[in-house]
Amino acid sequence: MIKSEPDNTTGAGQPFLTLRGVKKHYGGAKALDGADLVVEAGSVHSLVGENGAGKSTLIKSLSGLIAPDAGDILVDGKPVTISGVKQAEALGFRFIHQELSLVPHFTAVENAFVGRTYPRKGPFIDRAQMRQTIAETARNIAPDLPLDIPVAKMTTGQKQLVEIIRALVGAPARLVVMDEPTASLSDGEAARLHQAVNRMSEQGVAVIFISHRLDEVMQICDSYTVLRNGCTVGAGRIAQTDRAGLVHLMSGREELRGAAHIPPVGNPVVLRLRDVPYGTRDSRVSFDVRAGEIVGLYGLVGAGRSSLMKLIWGASKHSGGQIELDGTELRAGRIGDRIAKGAAYVPEDRRHEGLITSRSIADNISIAQLPSMRTWNGLPWTSRRKLVSRSKTVQTTLSVKMGSPWDGPLTLSGGNQQKLLFGRWYGRDTRLLILDEPSRGVDVGAKAEIHDLARRFAADGAAVLMTTSDMDELMALSARVLVLASGEITAEFSGETLTPRRVIDAAFQHQTEKETHA
Amino acid sequence: MTSFVRRYGTLMALVAIIAAFSIASPQAFGTASNLINITQQMTLLAIVAIGATIVMAVGEFDLSTASVVSFGGIFSVFLFKLGIPAPLVCLAVLVAAGAFGAVSGFIVARFEVLSFITTLAIGTIVGGVTFWLSNGATLFGDIPTGFRDLARGKSFGIPILTFWLLGVSILAWILLDKIEIGRRLYAIGGNREAARLAGVRIVSNTTFAFVCSAILAALVGMLLTGRIGSASPTGGGGFLLSAYAAVFLGMTAFREGEANVPGTLVGAAIIAVVGNGLTILGVSTFMQDIITGLIILAAVLVRRTGAQGR
Repeated sequence: MIKSEPDNTTGAGQPFLTLRGVKKHYGGAKALDGADLVVEAGSVHSLVGENGAGKSTLIKSLSGLIAPDAGDILVDGKPVTISGVKQAEALGFRFIHQELSLVPHFTAVENAFVGRTYPRKGPFIDRAQMRQTIAETARNIAPDLPLDIPVAKMTTGQKQLVEIIRALVGAPARLVVMDEPTASLSDGEAARLHQAVNRMSEQGVAVIFISHRLDEVMQICDSYTVLRNGCTVGAGRIAQTDRAGLVHLMSGREELRGAAHIPPVGNPVVLRLRDVPYGTRDSRVSFDVRAGEIVGLYGLVGAGRSSLMKLIWGASKHSGGQIELDGTELRAGRIGDRIAKGAAYVPEDRRHEGLITSRSIADNISIAQLPSMRTWNGLPWTSRRKLVSRSKTVQTTLSVKMGSPWDGPLTLSGGNQQKLLFGRWYGRDTRLLILDEPSRGVDVGAKAEIHDLARRFAADGAAVLMTTSDMDELMALSARVLVLASGEITAEFSGETLTPRRVIDAAFQHQTEKETHA
Repeated sequence: MTSFVRRYGTLMALVAIIAAFSIASPQAFGTASNLINITQQMTLLAIVAIGATIVMAVGEFDLSTASVVSFGGIFSVFLFKLGIPAPLVCLAVLVAAGAFGAVSGFIVARFEVLSFITTLAIGTIVGGVTFWLSNGATLFGDIPTGFRDLARGKSFGIPILTFWLLGVSILAWILLDKIEIGRRLYAIGGNREAARLAGVRIVSNTTFAFVCSAILAALVGMLLTGRIGSASPTGGGGFLLSAYAAVFLGMTAFREGEANVPGTLVGAAIIAVVGNGLTILGVSTFMQDIITGLIILAAVLVRRTGAQGR
């Protein structure tokens, strides 16, 4: 994509924002150790790095949430101290966090004005004026966004657009920071968001775009900064680098892509689904997963992959059909039964469905296996010593970078948090492993390690059922891919027939058919 | 250093309060007999607060506590008047209270109704039952001496009530911190959905927590009746707010914002010491309430600002 150089209204070649040698220590841990960042006015700047590389800390120093120990922040060449959120706001900095902060039953218009000054007509809020202001902003950024329905009824992509519009209302914005805005968007929604980002930058608003999806970074960003271990290890123009170059800078190694696991011949079927109805339609799902096999379930966003995973796990009830594990039928909605039979589950959303953030790492990885942590057999007394030794085992065998087992899980980076969720099931004979987006929001290096983990579970004889929206991940791990659309398995690929193109074709084809019929 | 203050700050505050009162009133406050007196005064509050701690561990509230304390006292005297022997009476009271707790817990966990609302309703019902049993009057007479001796007098120079507190504290501490169910309860309190997906049974564990809270409240109702020799249908009225105040004070001690038994004991001690000390200094009861409220606010605020400063 070729873009004209943005007008620089602030002086000859003067970058709009410069960070120099920013350092921040938390106790003994260095979060930032001399990070630099230069953002030109109106440019889309990609900030990339593995989880734990210091991206969030750098952003927090811009938003006034933390005060750096050392380093300079210059805006229009003049040094500034950002001592609080209000001041960041006054500088024209806006932040859109990964976890959106919208009021669910407010409309886009109402949300955009939360915390801003409302237009008034006498003592009353001028709703017409509010709507007009937002409509004007929206026309430039996202013309087809519905403004008058509660955001609770919107897709994640639309909510992101509301956040963008919200960022542009009020005092003029000069910089919008977006943290993983497309992580949970479908391709179509992501494209719409990219458009919105481009339009912002055309209006002279600089964007710092944090994403693990390097394809989109290559596509929509003008320039980049790569962080590793709290230092800036590279920066430049996107046009002068490529994906491999970025990966190399981020990880200091080539991107790891393991070969797909070969399906074992003649292994017994571990998980068997027969005519399991799910979703709102009158459709049923049947498939098998064999021991040692990694089966990938692919579908467009909204195809209901996660709810199928939850159904198999017993987190919700199936009504009819059979789900069998090692030949025994599983009762609907009984998670305990599945755990007792050696099933394991890593949920999609590690913050809300996975980690118990108020408890220690040791507790998090032992909560599903407390009886094996007993001091005396037969008594439910939990041994601290065994908790510690289990933590150490998980730490070394899963290579988790962590401090004490008694620290909270949020002290770890995303990739290491994700490993804890695998660790929760480690150390027993796992028959079935259910993975829902196993490496979402995780950096390249940790992703490869998590893939190794999944392969290791399979090599030890577990049947692995995975769903992911990351095509690379699907290809890297799956021996077989099932395509789920409209509540049915519509296609199956393995061996030489398994190519990204065929999978995506199958997923979209059904979608189109459905639309034609409708 | 700061983590030391965060961990032990509340305990140090208790020590400081005791020291301050001892200096202000060395003859009356700082005597061994008064300190023993305080442990006796804090006992009943602390036991109710420990029940509240268990419910708070699963992240819920039990507003029926005060009603169940009153119920425990009234129901026991009501049964004594029917001529039922003391051990059976105790059992019946605890079972009845446990049943109320079980209903609250089941509704909260199974139907995901806010515990505030559920226990408000159950508490109102229990209050109604209590007034019905007592015809709204204070009940006395027919209370066996053996029953009363469980709550009054001393053994080895230490009030019997203190032994009750010790026993309940140790059991609750083992329950929450040492055995598996405690880890499950805290897991539910920390992240209910994550706990459920990790195989923790939400309904049975949550119900269990409410049963514990109700049984401890009824136990306090009986101990109170044993100590004063009568039961009032509003006898438990004062316990609810002070018990939760003790738990919240305790959440600022030892752990990062988690209800815990040692913390609750410190919290209850602070409330009891302040009450006792101010009474000795001749401060009026309404002033005592104001001061206690301010202390709770101060403790929570210090914690919040400390947490933000990190």
